Amino acid sequence: MVVRLADYLVMLAEAIGDRQGPHLAYLLRPTSSHAKDLIKEFRNPSKESLAGYEGYIESPWDEIAISYVLVINSVARNDPVHAFKEQSQLVHAFHRFFTTDTGWTLPALFAICRDLRDIAHDADVSTQKTDCMEEAARILSKLFTSCVTDRTSPVAESRKWGVYYVVGLIMKCYFRVKRIALSRSILRALEANPDIPPLSSYPRAHQVTHRYYIGAINFLNEDFEKAEQELTLAFYNCHVEAQANRQRILAYLIPLRILRGHLPSQELLDRFPDLKEVYGPFVEAIRKADIKAYDVALYEWEKKLLELNVWLVFERARELVMRGLFRRVWVLSEKGTRIPIHMFHCALRVVGMRLDVEEVECFVANMIYKGLIKGYISHERQMVVLAQNGAFPRVADRKNPYVV
Amino acid sequence: MSAADSASSSKPSQNSLKLDEKTSEQKPQQSQLSGLEDDDEFEEFAVQDWDDSQTDLAHLGGAAPGAAKSGGDRLWEDNWDDDDVEDPFSAQLRAELVKTGQGTTGVGPNVAGEPMQV
Repeated sequence: MVVRLADYLVMLAEAIGDRQGPHLAYLLRPTSSHAKDLIKEFRNPSKESLAGYEGYIESPWDEIAISYVLVINSVARNDPVHAFKEQSQLVHAFHRFFTTDTGWTLPALFAICRDLRDIAHDADVSTQKTDCMEEAARILSKLFTSCVTDRTSPVAESRKWGVYYVVGLIMKCYFRVKRIALSRSILRALEANPDIPPLSSYPRAHQVTHRYYIGAINFLNEDFEKAEQELTLAFYNCHVEAQANRQRILAYLIPLRILRGHLPSQELLDRFPDLKEVYGPFVEAIRKADIKAYDVALYEWEKKLLELNVWLVFERARELVMRGLFRRVWVLSEKGTRIPIHMFHCALRVVGMRLDVEEVECFVANMIYKGLIKGYISHERQMVVLAQNGAFPRVADRKNPYVV
Repeated sequence: MSAADSASSSKPSQNSLKLDEKTSEQKPQQSQLSGLEDDDEFEEFAVQDWDDSQTDLAHLGGAAPGAAKSGGDRLWEDNWDDDDVEDPFSAQLRAELVKTGQGTTGVGPNVAGEPMQV
């Protein structure tokens, strides 16, 4: 059956009358089957040429239907900038209805917001600008407010159930245009509204997306402890088949966990070949206490690590390899409790590092401070005096793994 | 021009609006050097909700997520130290340490006082 605009309007009116959220979402998506018919029905449609359909059904749905036809035509004509303008109109009109009712329309809201962001992406790619994405974030922020401020709907049908999905889309916009600091106001608004249901009661897709972005923001702000908590929860709650998303989470999480002394196991790396390729050499070098191999990896992957914003973490994790080398000196010294600093100096020379003995003493002092070595330095005797038990504690056993 | 034509000719990226869902499946998911990109976006999930059995929580058997092997999570390894010094590098290191140790005050017991008691 060919769907004409007149039929489409009836279908919309029925979905609204029956309060069919998921069906309404289907009707408003440009990817749905009826879109092709509606594209064929009108040649170069405009708001004016479709004005005859106004009043055909209850406002604002007549307007929404007209915007929909204009959106799908613009997309079909490969004109994402125009499509974005029309989709913005559609979302604005939808918003007028959204605030007057309960959250039954949320599935449709999610669909049109997602399309708004996707079209903004295409539009910005075509113009090499960021205007549309920034505008999308502004529109989405208004919808966020309408979700948060629902004080009348019964809990089960509250618009509040839209909060985290919309926040996720806003973050996605900010990350795309690299204006991550702008997310602060949204996060403050979340904290300022304690009557939002707990995150754990939302669908897992919303939870994982939110935790990923919170983790990423904290990672970039170098609050590694908070970042690790959120990313760990994101990873373990993520759907196992969402491979790309799991990889995104692990791209931040693996460096953090290495720094705290939890190396990704072979099994984990085997599941993510792209990550294994970049991070594997570092893990291998730490296991073998091979500083040379570690430095080669740092050199070889520098550009990629910088792109991924994880270079700093791997630079810091280098001391784990140094610890491994010093531990080996200790094992070769029959695990004695007194090791002259020049022994460590010698070991570093063997791996090709030309350092003054004072620098080596400084390395040891730092490792003692960070809990990587238990003992003290007798400066006058140039001697490291080690604890009788647990001179080299497991890296994971440190109390403050992220201390600088 | 139909919607499908425009979608397949413009080859939308993973994050762009797809008019025809089939086009997205044609994109090869190969592992390559550039497989890990900084602007890969967090993708829309195919489903909204799922239970533990579809996550890695299912494999933990009650262990805390991220607890490492010693805590029952086999995805992470928190104990990789070994005392094996039979490899070539250790042999080289041993030889150099012996050379360095000769004729110094750094060997022999009780040079710098008692070991630290912990």
